[in-house]
Amino acid sequence: MLLNFDRLGWWKLVLIGITLLTTAFLLLPILFIAALSFGSSQWLIFPPPAWTLRWYQELLEDPRWLDSAWTSFRIAIIVTVLSVLLGLVTSFGLNRGRFLFREALKALFLTPMILPVVVLAVALYAFFLQIGLNGTLTGFVISHLVLALPFSILSITNALEGFDKSIEDAAVLCGASPFEAKIRVTLPAISHGVFSAAIFSFLTSWDEVVVAIFMASPTLQTLPVKVWSTLRQDLTPVVAAASTLLILLTVLLMVLVAIVRKGLKS
Amino acid sequence: MVSQTETGSGRPYSPAQVRRLTDFDLTLPALGLLILFFVLPVAMLLTRSVTEPVPGLGNYAELLGSSTYLRIFANTFIVSGLVTLVSLLIGFPVAWALAIMPNRAASIVFAILLLSMWTNLLARTYAWMVLLQRTGVINKMLLGMGLIDTPLPLVNNLTGVTIGMTYIMLPFIILPLYGVIRKIDPAILQAAALCGANRWQSLVRVLLPLAMPGMAAGALMVFVMSLGYFVTPALLGGTSNMMLAELIAQFVQSLVNWGMGGAAALVLLVVTLALYAVQLRFFGTNRMGGR
Amino acid sequence: MKRILVLAATAATIATAMPATAADLVFTSWGGTTQDAQKIAWAEKFTEKTGINVLQDGPTDYGKLKAMVEANAVTWDVVDVEGDYAAQAGKKGLLEKLDFSVIDKSKLDPRFVTDYSVGSFYYSFVIGCNKDAVDACPKTWADLFDTQKFPGMRAFYKWSAPGVIEAALLADGVSADQLYPLDLDRAFKKLDTIKSDIIWWSGGAQSQQLLASAEAPFGSVWNGRMTALAQSGINVETSWEQNITAADALVVPKGAKNKEAAMQFIALATSAEAQADLAKITGYAPINLDSPKMMDPELAKTLPDAQTASQVNADMNYWAENRDAIGERWYAWQAK
Repeated sequence: MLLNFDRLGWWKLVLIGITLLTTAFLLLPILFIAALSFGSSQWLIFPPPAWTLRWYQELLEDPRWLDSAWTSFRIAIIVTVLSVLLGLVTSFGLNRGRFLFREALKALFLTPMILPVVVLAVALYAFFLQIGLNGTLTGFVISHLVLALPFSILSITNALEGFDKSIEDAAVLCGASPFEAKIRVTLPAISHGVFSAAIFSFLTSWDEVVVAIFMASPTLQTLPVKVWSTLRQDLTPVVAAASTLLILLTVLLMVLVAIVRKGLKS
Repeated sequence: MVSQTETGSGRPYSPAQVRRLTDFDLTLPALGLLILFFVLPVAMLLTRSVTEPVPGLGNYAELLGSSTYLRIFANTFIVSGLVTLVSLLIGFPVAWALAIMPNRAASIVFAILLLSMWTNLLARTYAWMVLLQRTGVINKMLLGMGLIDTPLPLVNNLTGVTIGMTYIMLPFIILPLYGVIRKIDPAILQAAALCGANRWQSLVRVLLPLAMPGMAAGALMVFVMSLGYFVTPALLGGTSNMMLAELIAQFVQSLVNWGMGGAAALVLLVVTLALYAVQLRFFGTNRMGGR
Repeated sequence: MKRILVLAATAATIATAMPATAADLVFTSWGGTTQDAQKIAWAEKFTEKTGINVLQDGPTDYGKLKAMVEANAVTWDVVDVEGDYAAQAGKKGLLEKLDFSVIDKSKLDPRFVTDYSVGSFYYSFVIGCNKDAVDACPKTWADLFDTQKFPGMRAFYKWSAPGVIEAALLADGVSADQLYPLDLDRAFKKLDTIKSDIIWWSGGAQSQQLLASAEAPFGSVWNGRMTALAQSGINVETSWEQNITAADALVVPKGAKNKEAAMQFIALATSAEAQADLAKITGYAPINLDSPKMMDPELAKTLPDAQTASQVNADMNYWAENRDAIGERWYAWQAK
């Protein structure tokens, strides 16, 4: 009866109450930041004396914000493409291979995910100082790729595990080359995994802040670094405006994911 | 990699043979990337902890012998433990409710959960910075309702870090726990009821034990992720709430002391990997993630 | 699959091969309204005059600077640092010697000139207060350290730097001419008495936000930030009683890529006109002795220059010598 919603009695109210409160807790900062971005107080006094669009105007007129958003986007796209491609190749190897140390290798591939990012950030910062990659697009792409790859491998191997390989073998028996069979039979079947890999890779790079703080240079700043340094120096409501736009982007992305998921299912 | 000649007619090898030769090769590009830009840099950093400024274990002696640093280690564990505990206390009832709620209501909660998870980390932290101030909305509301007379110190202290990090960690505990509770057969609980167990007994002796693997796995994951957190404690904590990750950053960024930075990194690394090994050993899952 | 990988690799190479223009000068400062002002008063004028584009970076980070110099990968050309740091870093070999055939030091306040640095601007730690938020404003350092007479949170500068320790000693009754060498034990003991009532600010903008929102209705802040707060319409009061001066300095990191342009930039930034322009926007004081003449006398009155009566000069040489030791103790105390 504890798992039957209608027979919980007053416990049901308690559970619903906690869930509602938690939902409110989860929504609070998101809604608040949106409200704050329209407030007129330069010093984040809330509720504000008046409402304004001034911060959005400042945001859109400041080329530094747009530049950093563009930088982040470019890096995230490159990382996504590379991470999905590498993830695909690696996952096929891990899933199909029967070689020694396969499990150990798999664990190694996933380690960047559990390693505290600050350790990787500091290590790469030191390494890149020596080989001159700090503050370059290549440096950002490499470090974000290291962070994104585990998510990609995890999503795609999971999908591959759920895929019946005999279908691919059947295609090969029918005359397709192994490569052709993978592209035309297996890939469509695991497309949801590939799609998750792409989304996770993109978000990993787009949101990444710790490595980026160490690696950023005057000529190359990602959006999270811009937000971070603004937070530490200015505290201007422009940050709230930027955050609100980011939240909006998240909502759009979620809708997109929902649509694609539906499309993949049917 | 499958080369062109092997795809022609009159295949000299059986598909299985070709694959056996090439599967490991497929993992080589990623392996190369990881060794060059992950294993090597981390190893180099850790090496510096025993070579700089002079060879030896001096950095570790200083790190583990100073009350300031020990306090930071203790802090890191206290904050992570607290965050894990609060996340569990909130996460369990929510996951439970989600598992048995009508689908439509549950999907709304899920959407909000995902939205909060996917919203830019800095945006969320920034919101809490402003919300939790003495003159922030929460204190104003509490004052307005007459619940408190003077504003509560909610930010730049342990409270602020705990709230901000619990916010981030909640989805990581709710989602796996939801999966576990979902898989429990309601018939088992019905059986418990038939045998005369009241609700408390069913909860404590049936549901909780059945959900325990999920709770333990989720808790361990949140704990490990919290240990290495940097951004949130730096923005929401006070000067006396410094955590290990921040200390590492400070060693490297402000003090340019690579030796101490490497030593602190090793400590964090060892603890994390040890707990990761426990996770793999007992729960056999790789579902860990973090920033 | 090979072909796809090659394609991807090519795409990545093309996308990443975008070098920054080498001739750009990189100026690094502390961000916020001060750096905006430096951009207008100095950088834009400099670009106009020389055609060299100036990139703004920030915030200044001594660790980054040292790491850059050590790795010989210096991306900053001119850096705005604290005066005591400049004195110390020069001795440690982290900075280029300034070229005084390009920079005219005859008109610069000699308090702020060394072989490796010239003043950037100078400022005072003053007692700022939001008049709307409290019944009475603290006037002296002793007031600011008196939680009985002035209950509430107070804002203090977070980092180890000249200012807070001096304030604690002055509040404890040490006379201004007896400050140095600093009695650290006494200072920390005094600071202990208000520790739980302090909110630390890590950047100028944060100090403004704390005062404006009355998060901390009063505190020790840079005078220029008070000028800016008043201009934004907040009802503030500034007490200059025993204001503690310290200066920022302009330096060139060792191995800077555009050394010559950096010297030209510093020459322009310290010229009487550029210094006067910066002072007009920021409310900080010019380090060029000819600048005050070029300013509106009304405005000149609000500068630390006009507040010398009870002024206390932080001893940059003392700080340069003891910076690391004080810093270590400071952060250990804070972390307690």
